[in-house]
Amino acid sequence: MTEPVAGARKVVLPPHRVRAQRPLGTRAREWTRENLFPSPAQAVVTLLALAFATAIVALAVYLVLAAEWRVITVNRWLLFAGGFPQDQEWRLWVSVALVFPLIGAAFGLWASLGRRDLLFMALAAGFLFFLARHGDAGWASTVWVAGSLALFFAGYLVCRLVPREPGRARSIATWTAGGALALALPAVLAVLMAAGGARTNEFSGFMMNLILAPVGIAGGLLLAIPLAVGRASSLRAVSWTCTAYIELIRGAPLIGWLFVALFILEDVIAGDLIVRTMVVLAVFTSAYIAEYIRGGLQALPHGQTEAAQAVGLGRTRTLQLVVLPQALRISIPPIVGQAISLWKDTALISAILPLRELVGNSKAAIAQPEFIENRIEVYVFAAVLFWIVAFVMSRVSQRMERSLGIGER
Amino acid sequence: MTRRRWGLAIVAAIALLAAACGGGSGGGDDADGEVLRSVLDRGELRCGVKGSHPGFSFANPDGSFSGFDVEFCRAIAAAVLGNDGEDVAFVQVPSATRFELLNTRQIDVLIRTTTVTAERDASLGLEFGPITFYTGQSFAVRADSGIRSTADMDGITICVQSATTTEQNLSDHFNELGYDYTPLGGEDQENQDAFATGRCDAWTGDQSNLISRISQLPNADEFRVVDQLISKEPLAPFVIDGDRQWKDVVSWVVYGLINAEELGVTRENAAALAADPPNAAVARLLGAPFKGGEVADHGFAVDPQFLRRALLATGNYGEIYERTVARVGVPREGTLNALVRDGGVLYAPPYR
Repeated sequence: MTEPVAGARKVVLPPHRVRAQRPLGTRAREWTRENLFPSPAQAVVTLLALAFATAIVALAVYLVLAAEWRVITVNRWLLFAGGFPQDQEWRLWVSVALVFPLIGAAFGLWASLGRRDLLFMALAAGFLFFLARHGDAGWASTVWVAGSLALFFAGYLVCRLVPREPGRARSIATWTAGGALALALPAVLAVLMAAGGARTNEFSGFMMNLILAPVGIAGGLLLAIPLAVGRASSLRAVSWTCTAYIELIRGAPLIGWLFVALFILEDVIAGDLIVRTMVVLAVFTSAYIAEYIRGGLQALPHGQTEAAQAVGLGRTRTLQLVVLPQALRISIPPIVGQAISLWKDTALISAILPLRELVGNSKAAIAQPEFIENRIEVYVFAAVLFWIVAFVMSRVSQRMERSLGIGER
Repeated sequence: MTRRRWGLAIVAAIALLAAACGGGSGGGDDADGEVLRSVLDRGELRCGVKGSHPGFSFANPDGSFSGFDVEFCRAIAAAVLGNDGEDVAFVQVPSATRFELLNTRQIDVLIRTTTVTAERDASLGLEFGPITFYTGQSFAVRADSGIRSTADMDGITICVQSATTTEQNLSDHFNELGYDYTPLGGEDQENQDAFATGRCDAWTGDQSNLISRISQLPNADEFRVVDQLISKEPLAPFVIDGDRQWKDVVSWVVYGLINAEELGVTRENAAALAADPPNAAVARLLGAPFKGGEVADHGFAVDPQFLRRALLATGNYGEIYERTVARVGVPREGTLNALVRDGGVLYAPPYR
């Protein structure tokens, strides 16, 4: 709008400088109109966003100024471990110290920690230290937290040394880490229960969620791969069986399958309720993951299989070396979505089953005479714990997607 | 409502499946003594409690349990297994599945503020023991509202837990009065908030629950609970149908604790009284010989000292009440839960 006139020696300012010279009030009004209220529809969006922001700020102010967090520090044990025998606390810490380096190793092998991850981890570590130190706890839990975090970074750094390119070193590292991850759950259960440890009906609180969800996810994944391949099979009997399984399991809500765990599986599996619940969670998850993997299988161009056969690979080798690696890679985002979904579904368990997970123990904490008024604090704390784990899963997924180049082909 | 219908559909489907598999594991008449045997074999009583009810059952910071219902679990465990009532596995039972858990013998006894009704007795395959706590539906109002009973409640807004017998009672009662009211539905704790912030004029629920929750509010003296009860909610322990032996043991532990209060036997003096009983009734209750006579054995499936063990573990009914529900502000004096001699309705048949 300010075209330079030929021959004129006057200095012509660029448009933003011209605007900058006008009074501040005018500029603010203009900016507001252009950016916040350019049209009625966008004005509505702006107002809604404003209301949302106000609510968040109000909640934050409440949580910082008015909330009484003593209910959490007093009930730390109840919320995390509940009925677990207190003199066996070391078993819980050994489990944590066992799992943390493995997670670090997985990060190091298949992803990398970005600056934002480090920031988040620093926050999470601060939160853990605060929890471990606050109240009357001794130094033991602080030492355990510090040790576990150190092991996490040790696992990460060691695995960063492994070359990224395929080769002998990498395949050895991958198999070792994969094997260790697969053995982690049985190892944790052994640490918790073996030689005078806890009985399964003493599992309780957040550790219950932390055990049930990984069992459901890992078991689901293991069951899902044959199901997906089976559904895509050209053998009618196999594909129909797999389809029937998937449709039956997906057709009923999780709450229904929990009822099955409670009242029907009892006659089939002579285990206790936790084992039955683990089976149901794995079976439930497998039906969903199988469909995601089938999606991955169908997304592969036919040429891949044909090329594999052309170089002389048999059916099994084709599946193992060509088809599954690519199909699984494509399916990672929805599989992680399902994992997060199952993670949060574990909060449903104490509404149906007589098992004590975090939400059940939260309700128990706010029934204590002195804390009846502190339920917001307890539920916010439970929500934060759930969120932290869900967020970690989501970040791991994003990092894996990036390092595997999903969506970049 | 939809969730409830889903739930029903699922339960129906499961029931069909279970019937088809022939896996019905409910209680049969030939199951007499089975529960007691399995408790003894296991060395542990599986007691179903709510685990999140102020005064009645809740978990302590160290994961152990406390409360009125919890004490009765301990008393039964002490009577059957000894060890001062320590051998209890408390099972936190959701309301939705509590009766099925009892029916499938995944718990031995259900003590979960459960109201005795005809339907539950007749058609659920359950038996109930003696009533341990009498309450009823009542109303909390603001102290300055001038409301004394439902006669003053025409046209007001009432907070009530939706889809419960409480809601049904409320609507029946107001229909009968010919009054209008606006129901405001929510869960227990939402109702408490709505009432405390003035969004409803009255809040209805079990009187004991209203009293205990209001007594914990910082401005408790601004509210009061009316004396009127519009329903009967007698709470009792439940056991499986068809195991009379087990039902007798559970029932007589409760009766024994009430009798002990009448007779003045406490946790403190039980041992001394057993060594030197002042009269025959106390001697019988504690399973001790009186004046060189025999120890009375009434033929329960447990030994005659079972009530002494229960009393040494938890004390009598009054002591349990004082330690638990009285601590959350529910008074005993002047309520139905006082002994008959103090004007209540709590009464136990004689132990003889």
